[in-house]
Amino acid sequence: MAQQRSFNPYTENGGTILAIAGADFAVVAGDTRQTEGYSIQTRYAPKVFRLTDKAVLAVNGFAADGNMFVKKVKQRLEWYKHAHSKDMPLQSIARLIQTMLYAKRFFPYYVYNILGGIDEQGKGAVYSFDPVGSYERETCRAAGAAQSLVQPFLDNQIYFKNQTGEHPTHLPLPHVLQLVTDSFTGATERHIEVGDGLEMFVILARGRGSQELEGVAGIREVTTSDERERVFVINRDLKRD
Amino acid sequence: MSMHSFVARFSSSAADPLSLSLQSRNATQADDEDAGIPIELWGSQAGFGSLASQGGHSFAVPKVPNPAEFLRMHTDEHEGKIKIQHGTTCLAFRFKGGVIVAVDSRASAGSYIASGTVKKVLEINKYLLGTMAGGGADCQYWETYLGIQCRLHELRNGERMSVAAASKYLANLVYGYKGMGLSMATMICGWDKSGPAVYYVDSDGTRMKGDVFSVGSGSTFAYGVLDQGYKWDLSDEEAQELGRRSIYAAGHRDAYTGNTVNLYHVRENGWEFINNYDISKLHYEGPGGITSEGYGYSVRTAEQTSRSAENDAMQEVEGDLV
Amino acid sequence: MECSFALTGKGYVLIAADMTSARSIVKMKHDEDKVKPLGPHLLMTYSGEPGDTVQFAEYVERNLRLYQIRNHSVLRPHSAASWIRRTLADSLRSRSPYSVNLLVGGYDVSEHEPHLYWIDYLGTMATVPFAAHGYGSYFALSLLDRYHNPSASLEEGIETLKRCIDEVQKRLIIGLGKFKVRVVDKDGVREIEI
Repeated sequence: MAQQRSFNPYTENGGTILAIAGADFAVVAGDTRQTEGYSIQTRYAPKVFRLTDKAVLAVNGFAADGNMFVKKVKQRLEWYKHAHSKDMPLQSIARLIQTMLYAKRFFPYYVYNILGGIDEQGKGAVYSFDPVGSYERETCRAAGAAQSLVQPFLDNQIYFKNQTGEHPTHLPLPHVLQLVTDSFTGATERHIEVGDGLEMFVILARGRGSQELEGVAGIREVTTSDERERVFVINRDLKRD
Repeated sequence: MSMHSFVARFSSSAADPLSLSLQSRNATQADDEDAGIPIELWGSQAGFGSLASQGGHSFAVPKVPNPAEFLRMHTDEHEGKIKIQHGTTCLAFRFKGGVIVAVDSRASAGSYIASGTVKKVLEINKYLLGTMAGGGADCQYWETYLGIQCRLHELRNGERMSVAAASKYLANLVYGYKGMGLSMATMICGWDKSGPAVYYVDSDGTRMKGDVFSVGSGSTFAYGVLDQGYKWDLSDEEAQELGRRSIYAAGHRDAYTGNTVNLYHVRENGWEFINNYDISKLHYEGPGGITSEGYGYSVRTAEQTSRSAENDAMQEVEGDLV
Repeated sequence: MECSFALTGKGYVLIAADMTSARSIVKMKHDEDKVKPLGPHLLMTYSGEPGDTVQFAEYVERNLRLYQIRNHSVLRPHSAASWIRRTLADSLRSRSPYSVNLLVGGYDVSEHEPHLYWIDYLGTMATVPFAAHGYGSYFALSLLDRYHNPSASLEEGIETLKRCIDEVQKRLIIGLGKFKVRVVDKDGVREIEI
């Protein structure tokens, strides 16, 4: 049998991302550790990116493809903005991501995307994608190395699966932030590729007050206006072992 | 002077230096996808999109001797690499009251259940439905494209595209990519001038007209219930019940099928979404309603036993024991 | 898994094919018509790679019709078969060859003679008095060696064809169900009830 030498264009960089859609907000979070095999490449490599005031994209899988894909998406959104004098609505961004991913159907981006933000009706929305563009709108989704640890936790705590009794239809923002933090601390404990740091993006619908975010440690606002949608970033440390 | 003509006047000189520099910089390797993009899709013009370039779909293909083999190698289910989401049991059948379409909602990526809420019935337009089995992205993308082409047909010809034509369009399109690794098995269902119609189309290029089809990993289980209960003269309720029960059967027996059932009914004036049913609930309680009984075997046969009478005398007394 | 037979007789060609369309272990269709009329006195049956079969058959049918429209006359069976064979042979060394096996039967109205051609996916063609494709050929060819009569009447030919179908239904592990039978003779193409 002849020896087969070929260049493998893909690798896996670990990490985990998740997004949760609330009634009038959305949270998109990802850890900041980037690994390859047993090595940590860096303790801070962002995986979650603000696209517009209403949309945040988290990418996970092969970091080079992820970063490149975000650049290309941002480029298309910029062109759209120049052509139409407005930001692309969230559902259109989701469709755009599908066509961009499918254009590489025969040489895929090895990226699992989760898009979170505020839809045209002012409600929180989360869209999750597979590497070749199949997508669906959901309430919450985890992806990445620890997805099989985090998603069941979210199924129980957000959808109240396998629980009987009364439960609220909408969860308040501070509670959701706590769930996100707990998901990542739990994942860090039990998955080697998750840890170092946590970066959470919170997108608030227009007119929704930000009182619940007062006093949250290390919070930083990235949008400038009070009148429109607002995006906040929260950084937390995770265990580094 | 419109934006477009402004660009067109000045783009010819702009384009050449642009593409020249791209070519010289990337003499050996691939930034081909950028160099190959026509001017209509570059810069702010791209914001307007361009149907002109829709005619030839161009896909980036890796520069290896055998691209199909490359794709297979990297998206192999078993090797744990790029896992494309696969869809699973769908069925559709024609009867006197139209077409019933029933699907499950589970998406698996390898042995992980990626989602239990996948919409596997694609609403191509008001009177055409397509089902999703195989690669979710392939089905979603091409059936959306089919919807665009159906609409264009309507605008150009002043009448709706027939189900036969729509399915042929899709089959021919997918045949063009045969061997490249697309995975798609769909049923195009609708009601047109010739009545209700169901066409099975898959990524091998097969296209078949028929009355009853089931597709996916759980299709054999669905056929078992579907074939034995099928008649042309079913009433609407009976037909919907048959569709629901068949998907339940597949969900029960096939590991890759489950979560919920989505049920649609296509009538002369278009399709109607009936309901979404949780398969676990169907097992214990049935679809709901007054006479609803659980579909599960143990639930259905709870009152029954196969124990026969001890002796003949007893059999006369307890006649209905068996 | 697919099975087709054909035989010639006095002034006719009989072609039969099974009607099953299967995907792995599932019979998707039991009434698939795989015998395609290509002209007033020409028939073809196909088997092979799903997708390729119907696409190729429709391609052939349409091109023959185009020839007829352009030239106001029909291609004779030999010429049509020759064109079909050539198309398959050309596709063999292309990026993705058509993988279809064919039986082409026709009645030449000028020579008053039936012709039958066996063509495989490589572009091999043979003129034969009787032919078969698929697993059924393992049972039918010897039977036809024994019982075929080139000057048989249509009724006798149908009896011989029935023997082939019965034998396959008896001995082939896969139950093939019904067969679609068509005849082409001086009066054209029509279906026969077996």
